[in-house]
Amino acid sequence: MSLFGIIASIIDGVLVGSVYGLAAMGLTLIWGVMDVVNLTHGSMIVAGMFALYLLTSVLGITPYATLLPVLVGGFLVGLALYWIAVHRMIGRAPLMSLLSTFSVNLVLIGLGTAVWGTVLFNVPVSFPGVTWQRYTFPGTHLLAAALTAVIAACLYVFLYRTRLGKAIRAVAGNRQAAELMGIPTTRVLALAFALGVALAGVSGMLIATLFPFTLLSGDAYQLKSFVVIVLGGLGNPTGALLGGIALGLLEGLVTPFIPVSWTLVIEFALFVTVLIAFPRGVFALRRS
Amino acid sequence: MSDALLSVEGLEAGYGEVQVLWGISFQARRSALTTLVGANGAGKTTTLRAVVGALRPSGGRVLFNGEDVTRLPAHAKAARGLVLVPEGRQLFAEMTVAENLEMGGYSKRASRSFAVHLERCFTLFPRLAERRRQRAGTLSGGEQQMLAIARGLMSDPEILMVDELSLGLAPVVLHQLFETLKLLRDDGLTIVLVEQNVHLAFALSDHAYVVAEGKLFTDGPPEALADMPEIRRAYLGL
Repeated sequence: MSLFGIIASIIDGVLVGSVYGLAAMGLTLIWGVMDVVNLTHGSMIVAGMFALYLLTSVLGITPYATLLPVLVGGFLVGLALYWIAVHRMIGRAPLMSLLSTFSVNLVLIGLGTAVWGTVLFNVPVSFPGVTWQRYTFPGTHLLAAALTAVIAACLYVFLYRTRLGKAIRAVAGNRQAAELMGIPTTRVLALAFALGVALAGVSGMLIATLFPFTLLSGDAYQLKSFVVIVLGGLGNPTGALLGGIALGLLEGLVTPFIPVSWTLVIEFALFVTVLIAFPRGVFALRRS
Repeated sequence: MSDALLSVEGLEAGYGEVQVLWGISFQARRSALTTLVGANGAGKTTTLRAVVGALRPSGGRVLFNGEDVTRLPAHAKAARGLVLVPEGRQLFAEMTVAENLEMGGYSKRASRSFAVHLERCFTLFPRLAERRRQRAGTLSGGEQQMLAIARGLMSDPEILMVDELSLGLAPVVLHQLFETLKLLRDDGLTIVLVEQNVHLAFALSDHAYVVAEGKLFTDGPPEALADMPEIRRAYLGL
């Protein structure tokens, strides 16, 4: 394989990896704000995939126009999930919320399997690619990465420039103090959770424009999200995007040389290594 | 005391099975500085936490402006102007000084005159104006306490309750902060202070309550209390 081929593979890996970063942003936002590991994350990614499938094949909407409905739908589902499975677990032992979100995940995946089975779905999306040397970067990959960048930028502006976003960060930093300052922290928690789920849904929708999927695809992407947030530092959405890009870069680097089935092995070896070597994340902000 | 802005009646509260407050009562007069003193573990901090709703009272009443606010959540009380500057400052360490102040002015009522309050905070504490872009966690102890008070003031309090102002502060800084509180009181703000440093607290306050074992032990003007032999022995080390 030529050098150009390797570079092309890395670039493509980065494009796809940024979408993993988007998925992980949802997971890490929830973790950072309320110390809850949301194990419905995988099924919310799958929900985004199926939303793309249903909206395009049944209602005939163009693929990228589903982004907004998925975002809004994900937000509403997230609100419901918060009140059903998370609210009463806030401030309790981490195992409680792990179990409750895990059970909801089982129920959702069970229901989904009953309706759609576990067959492979593929949403045909065509978008002109960009050709460089002998290599063509698929338009879907480019567009997914661009949309990811836009969404991540919006999230950043929301968290750092708006009153409500700052309130989310305040609650993440010190919930009790936030409450004492007149911030309705329960509502803020629900909002942050809903936002995290919406991000998972949108990332699922974007992933489904890249690859075929089944109802059980969520697990693999949820695991990738964990690798990404460990790379990026727990509870740090900006780090998650960088972590996703780093993971994509790694995938792009190794795929020309070894069978695809080895990628997960390498990723999890990396996961363990990072946990040992950089417990606060490779991209965690340096703190004085 | 008919002009009591805050009236606490027989408040009971605790942590889990452990009851700390056994029916404590006190009042805070408008535009006066009221102090709660007492030994470690007497329940002073718990009293403030129960009053603002950071801790759910199991009995008794909290009347604020004549309204029974006992069962309101803490954020709703803060939004009404019943504001606590908590023990240990509890700043948003990862956020900047300006963001901390902005969070202080979060409630609808406080945000209406946000600019005025910010101006006042920066006049009272010019150091905070200099460091507005700095992260709160990187401030010195004294600056952090200034920020904690300023953040409380941003909530546009009708009554400002300060828990353990003196904790870990150098005497110079502490003196300066007490002067600021006096200034605010003279400006008409109602203040409730919980303080270990009884000498300083008595020098500043209009009325003092002595708390012991989760109940009111006695109360009166600080000069009168300072003359009582049992108080001198127990709290003033004389």
